[in-house]
Amino acid sequence: MTLVTAMASVVLEPGQTCDPSRYLREKKAKKFLGLQDALAVVAAGQALEAAGLWGTLPAERTGLYVAVGYIPAALRDFLPVLEGSLDAEGRFSLERFAADGYMRAHPLLAFRCLPNMPAYHVAVSFGIEGPYSVLYPSAGELYLALDEACSALARGEIDVAVVVGVAHQRNFLVEHHFQRVVPPVPVERLRDGGAAFVLERDARPGLGPVRARLQALDVRYEPFDCLELVPSHAEELEIEGARHPVDLEIGPASPLVAVQGALAAGGGRVVHRLASRDGIRATSEWWAL
Amino acid sequence: MVGPVSGHRVVVTGMGVVTPLGSEVKAFLDGLVAGRSGVRKISIFDTASLPTKIAGQSELPPDAPLGDRKIAFALEAARQAMADAGFAAAAPQSDAVVSMGVGLELFHMENLVARRAPGFEPPSDLRGRLGFLQTPSDVCVHLLAKRYGFAAPPLVHVSACAAGTDAIGAAYRLIATGRRRVALAGGTDSMINPLGVAGFCALTATTLRNDEPEKASRPFDRTRDGFVMGEGAGALVLERYEDAIARGATLYAEIAGYGTSFDAYKIADPHPEGRGAFLAMSRALADARITPADVDAVNAHGTGTPKNDPAETCALKTLLGERAHKVPISATKSMIGHLISAAGAVETVASIGCMLRGVVHPTINLHEPDPACDLDYVPLVARDHRQRHVVSSSYGFGGHNASIVIRHPELLAP
Repeated sequence: MTLVTAMASVVLEPGQTCDPSRYLREKKAKKFLGLQDALAVVAAGQALEAAGLWGTLPAERTGLYVAVGYIPAALRDFLPVLEGSLDAEGRFSLERFAADGYMRAHPLLAFRCLPNMPAYHVAVSFGIEGPYSVLYPSAGELYLALDEACSALARGEIDVAVVVGVAHQRNFLVEHHFQRVVPPVPVERLRDGGAAFVLERDARPGLGPVRARLQALDVRYEPFDCLELVPSHAEELEIEGARHPVDLEIGPASPLVAVQGALAAGGGRVVHRLASRDGIRATSEWWAL
Repeated sequence: MVGPVSGHRVVVTGMGVVTPLGSEVKAFLDGLVAGRSGVRKISIFDTASLPTKIAGQSELPPDAPLGDRKIAFALEAARQAMADAGFAAAAPQSDAVVSMGVGLELFHMENLVARRAPGFEPPSDLRGRLGFLQTPSDVCVHLLAKRYGFAAPPLVHVSACAAGTDAIGAAYRLIATGRRRVALAGGTDSMINPLGVAGFCALTATTLRNDEPEKASRPFDRTRDGFVMGEGAGALVLERYEDAIARGATLYAEIAGYGTSFDAYKIADPHPEGRGAFLAMSRALADARITPADVDAVNAHGTGTPKNDPAETCALKTLLGERAHKVPISATKSMIGHLISAAGAVETVASIGCMLRGVVHPTINLHEPDPACDLDYVPLVARDHRQRHVVSSSYGFGGHNASIVIRHPELLAP
């Protein structure tokens, strides 16, 4: 049985920022964090703090299971590179790019957008040395990370699982992606967010306060020709039998944000259903305790 | 009798590769055992103005959707592995999974210019739009799942240089624990494009030994100065032992254990004593229910960077104790470069192939061992060596460590 001992989520309104300083082991490391890293660290930090595990995690017996959204980048990150890569006619020139353009990129750009960096920053900030999964780029993949976390707990491989979903979506590159799918996703529906659940086995001595129980988990998939079609997307919550659509899209953070919100609002039995654009269909059932 | 901690034994019944030493398993293994280098001048694009001009470049297969090299490599490696395993395209199987380590998304700077032109219209069809500006990395797993009817939710691993090993380990775990029956697992990557090569140049992570491409990748050598980029893919078919036996499949190896860890140390440096690497390897051994005394050979991460090689050496000494100097350690990257997300998968194929041939492949270009790297790295020349258990490891930028234990099929007697 998988118990939820803490949940936290951070969802930003457009223009809002996220400061991870409180949770960083080394404050000077802040310059390396992009928004997706900061969201992951803050969500994980709030969850571990709520579980009473901040600073007391059993490092080698804690696993980290992360799903990260599409690689983010702002147009302003590319423009200096582009301007340094144009020839006299304004065309892209490989020669100019190699001679000048690439050196105009911000030296920390790669650190701030690589999809494995949220996992790194969570691990280093909270001293996690256990097993991991780092998956990409959808809410469906978050379900697969959650499935492996539950399995690792059940096998006794770990005592604590930190499950994190995170996505930085309101930026040039990710908005470009969501504009090209069918049907395009309006930018207004996209949010930047991170969420973290702390899961523990019921048998662990000294278990923290239990918030909920993951009662059932089902993840399926239907292969599709991804060059010809995009499966439909839908997400909903069922709270005590009443169904509520989830309209905002927060990438891999979406399921955890939705479930946390429902459980925190007093939902007794919460069912989350997802149909993801990558063909993954998932359902989870959670009971508040 | 040793056996998996979890329920089912997991065997490898098919393998495929695209590598700088050739695009089929036999040619790849022949090249490794002969100590040939696949590193050469980059010919895909003009590198004249870039500091790095060499790489382990692979041949582009004809089936290259969206013009994305890593997708093409994945499709070709998977085609070989599925044919080798005797699987054809079939009706969807809900207990069959694709698990792939996939490299970073390809970005087209020239498209950025195009979209600024007056009257610009994006491509009208989905295929065109997916190839415009940036290709989603998860495309290849969906293409593979569709092509082979693997209808369990696919896993897209992005744990940097550990992703290929993680993809195989995760597939092993799903089968061993009874959640899946068969998997197509591996990794694919190509960063040999202007942005990719320039990005690594900016990080000053790659070697500048451009004049001698074949001698540039020098794991564990005192004169090493960075890694050589490579590209390619590795794919393996994994299935339950009993299923493989029932259908009369060839058993190449057992994946007997898998372990992972975080360094939780520094963003771009490994733990100097290889603490995370040691944890990953020791967890893989425990999962396989073997001890360090059972390890007959190691396929090292062996990047040839100043910091990786001594840290990995420390980890191996901690793991193997007094036997550390007696266990041969091979660095495949000395011949093909660093295939990033594909590295672990290709090196797993190398480990299995060499184990079956009873040989450990050399670490080439190792003429002056670094005093901090004083183990047996099989310098320069392959060696006959019987192996029953091989550890293959990958350590990723950001502190991801992944190890698997590969067991000889002769130990699979019922």
